[in-house]
Amino acid sequence: MKQLMIAAIAFASMWPCGGVLASAQSMDDLNLQVHGYATQGFVYSTNNNWDTTSSTDGSAAWTEAVVNLTAQPQSRLRVGVQARYFLLGNYGNSITLDWAQADYKASDKFGFRVGKVKTPMGLLNESQDIDPAQLWVLLPQSVYPIASRNSLLSHYGGVAYGRLPLGEKLGTLEYRGFGGQRIIGADDGFVQPFKDQGITVPSGFTGPLFGGTLRWNTPVQGLTMGATRDVERLSAAIYSHSMPGTLTVPALESSYFFGRYEHNKLMVAGEYNRVILNSDIQFAGIPAILVRYDVRGFYAMASYRLSDRLTSGLYYGSMINLQLPVSSGRYQKDWALCARYDFNPFLYAKIEQHIIDGTGSGFSTSDNSALQPNTRMTMLKLGVSF
Amino acid sequence: MKTHGGKLVKVRLPVLLLTLAGSMLCMRAHAQVVVIANSSVGATAISKAELRDVFTGASSNLKGGMQVLPVLQKQGVVNSGFLNLYVGKSDSAFRASWRSILFSGQGAMPRTLESDAAVVEYVAHTAGAIGYIGETTPHEGVKILVVR
Repeated sequence: MKQLMIAAIAFASMWPCGGVLASAQSMDDLNLQVHGYATQGFVYSTNNNWDTTSSTDGSAAWTEAVVNLTAQPQSRLRVGVQARYFLLGNYGNSITLDWAQADYKASDKFGFRVGKVKTPMGLLNESQDIDPAQLWVLLPQSVYPIASRNSLLSHYGGVAYGRLPLGEKLGTLEYRGFGGQRIIGADDGFVQPFKDQGITVPSGFTGPLFGGTLRWNTPVQGLTMGATRDVERLSAAIYSHSMPGTLTVPALESSYFFGRYEHNKLMVAGEYNRVILNSDIQFAGIPAILVRYDVRGFYAMASYRLSDRLTSGLYYGSMINLQLPVSSGRYQKDWALCARYDFNPFLYAKIEQHIIDGTGSGFSTSDNSALQPNTRMTMLKLGVSF
Repeated sequence: MKTHGGKLVKVRLPVLLLTLAGSMLCMRAHAQVVVIANSSVGATAISKAELRDVFTGASSNLKGGMQVLPVLQKQGVVNSGFLNLYVGKSDSAFRASWRSILFSGQGAMPRTLESDAAVVEYVAHTAGAIGYIGETTPHEGVKILVVR
């Protein structure tokens, strides 16, 4: 199945451009569209292996392939499904359902989606996995850690959305309200800190979530500001040396505050994120263990389009877990310099250099016998989309 | 003779390059576009902000509430002229933003047509359709929207 999907995308991408356009074009009667993309990454790092890869030796274990099918039987109704093959080191290597939804947009002011839907959190959560849409090889890990991406991208339930005009002098206000069930897979990066403590979570986490995002498109052309609040309750069956237990997270609370400004060839953006997690680990006959995380992260980024095909950018991201003891494992500071070149509308390449201080995100003792406080990381990515 | 020829090349090459660059700039400057719509679209004029919102997927309605269907063109002078003038993005940046909408499930990709004539044909026969063509292209069967 995996090979079939990758082969299908590779075949479609090799097709002459006109053929690709024709095949990606909506089919008249059913308004059907088929699109997809595939990427292959390479990462080399000094000192520490990154996110379960053998990156200190150079690793190409970073592959993604996505196929998307959308139909629009009526002008206001859209149904669609998107499948993804994701491999990053030991994460993924499986095909998952990105989203499968029905979307009814009554007007610009109100619409809703139901099914498995993208969770509209922060500035970039809905699009953080869409490599062809991003300049960066790796988004700031201080706010969007790639290891937890598959689980935090979407949920089962719904999203209500709309765009309200505030008058010519005040711009527009976009809202997203979401609710439903979160399912975090057993192979997700969210589970990694528990694995590092010798706790296995064979079935992953599940639980309800709800939240909302407001985006204000200000009267200043290109300036958007916004905020998100997300509350989740999660639980899981766990094992420690074959001893069964339960792990409950009565409150996982996330807040995001963000802004972005685009003007001609320039884009600048910034985001602050705080995640508070209180978990309760219980094994029979042992007093409950309380674990608390208080992670704060932010980034500031800027990019400039040097030509129609070449764009370059720089970001600085920083995160800290205030509940951990003082060490290089409680924080991470990351400078990243990136360039993207679009060969044509379908094929692109990216290169990115990271200078990282600390091991708070993406560096685990499971992958590194002795974690070093500093890492340099070089990333390459080649992508094709249609 | 060789030296003379070499001098000629030395003198003429920059002139030739300047002329070429100048003519390309002129082509860009003359890539005037007009916005066309199906006759079912009630409006006769559209603001730049409305146009940008419709073609970036931020909105699918005009101010009066009329639902419209944007139509794109393949890469070319008219397409880049329209994007520069009204959207403020390069073709690659514009398509990247649509991919973000498409792959996050927030919308479907607008129809992309090969030429001005194909856009006129489609817009003329599709209720609510709105597109852009070169200003000298014949446009029977569609209405021109004045961009305010």
